[in-house]
Amino acid sequence: MNHLTMDQLLELREPGREPELEAGRKHLELCPECQAEADRLAQRMARLRALPSPRPGRDQFPAILARFQANRRRTQFRRAGLAGLAVAASVTLAVVLRPAAGVDRGIPTQVAEQTSEQSDSVLQSMISRSQQLEAALNAYDPDSRVIDGRTAAIAARLEDQLSAIDRQIEMSEAIGRRADDGPAAQVRLWRERVGLLDALVDVHLTRASYAGM
Amino acid sequence: MDSLRLAQDAAILPLARKGDPVAQEALYRAYSPQVYGLARRICRTREDAEDVMQETFFEVFRSIHQFRGEGSLWGWVKTIAASKALMRLRRNKYRDTDELVDDVAPQRREDTALRMDLEAALERLPEVSRAVVWLHDVEGYTHDEIAQMMDRTVSFSKSQLARAHARLRRWLGEEVVA
Repeated sequence: MNHLTMDQLLELREPGREPELEAGRKHLELCPECQAEADRLAQRMARLRALPSPRPGRDQFPAILARFQANRRRTQFRRAGLAGLAVAASVTLAVVLRPAAGVDRGIPTQVAEQTSEQSDSVLQSMISRSQQLEAALNAYDPDSRVIDGRTAAIAARLEDQLSAIDRQIEMSEAIGRRADDGPAAQVRLWRERVGLLDALVDVHLTRASYAGM
Repeated sequence: MDSLRLAQDAAILPLARKGDPVAQEALYRAYSPQVYGLARRICRTREDAEDVMQETFFEVFRSIHQFRGEGSLWGWVKTIAASKALMRLRRNKYRDTDELVDDVAPQRREDTALRMDLEAALERLPEVSRAVVWLHDVEGYTHDEIAQMMDRTVSFSKSQLARAHARLRRWLGEEVVA
């Protein structure tokens, strides 16, 4: 029999293959050269296991924690907030579209309708823009990206501000049905929301572009 | 894995599952050296290894509620780390540089003064071969497990290991000693 190949020597080290390798095992018992080769293989493996472990260069925990917490906030926001916001948006539109809203306040009907139409138009465009940015953010999938600590901190701050705005939108929607400046307040909040989302998308995409990802 | 580590894991796990940052930091401090070590042995660059470490712990924190205590926590973390590192290799579209490596090897083989140390020889292996060597010989994964993680066949894992050892043997000058 020829000397054992590296494949065979390795195979002989695998558990549960004894019957198939009987011929190889017998050869190994009788062949000093193959025994020496098997010893070298075992020593090499032992030396590999004894290699010092490379140490991480920097503490990444703050960045990982910031990313995890941002992700958790985002998940909670998606679960609890999106449905509410969708309802809020539709109710808001209904409030803005309410006809003759200015009559009771002594504003001529025509002017009131024009104001209402303008508010409606701006609000619709804000909501639409907000949805586009949400879609862009989801398509980018920030959860699956590696980000540095500074970017994670900025993103987390923006997400916190977004959550606060979302709460205000919900509250404003409830109040807006009664308040005089309801539609205007809604437009202002949705505009702020778009600005924050814009910044968040910018933070992620700029970082991705910079990293060449 | 020592009993102290196991006891610490048992105490930390319930808190980590709730997303407690102190427990998460304890897990990070306990396992980051090993995770980084594994990632660095598989990945080509330190930056890649650091990215893998970040991805690993993010996944650990996010999925720890799925860990049921079957096997050690380190075993579970290690599998995530190995998968992330192999994903990174695939994402980087590694080249199998077998021919390139073989071309330069004979020059070294002739000169025992230039005999490489094991660290350098390991570094010189093609990325996939190095990953298989490390996962099999050091981390103790079977060929079946490696094949599954790499989305390749068992034969592929075995042949990579055999070729890698043949090269290491040559580069380390072991045949001259023999």
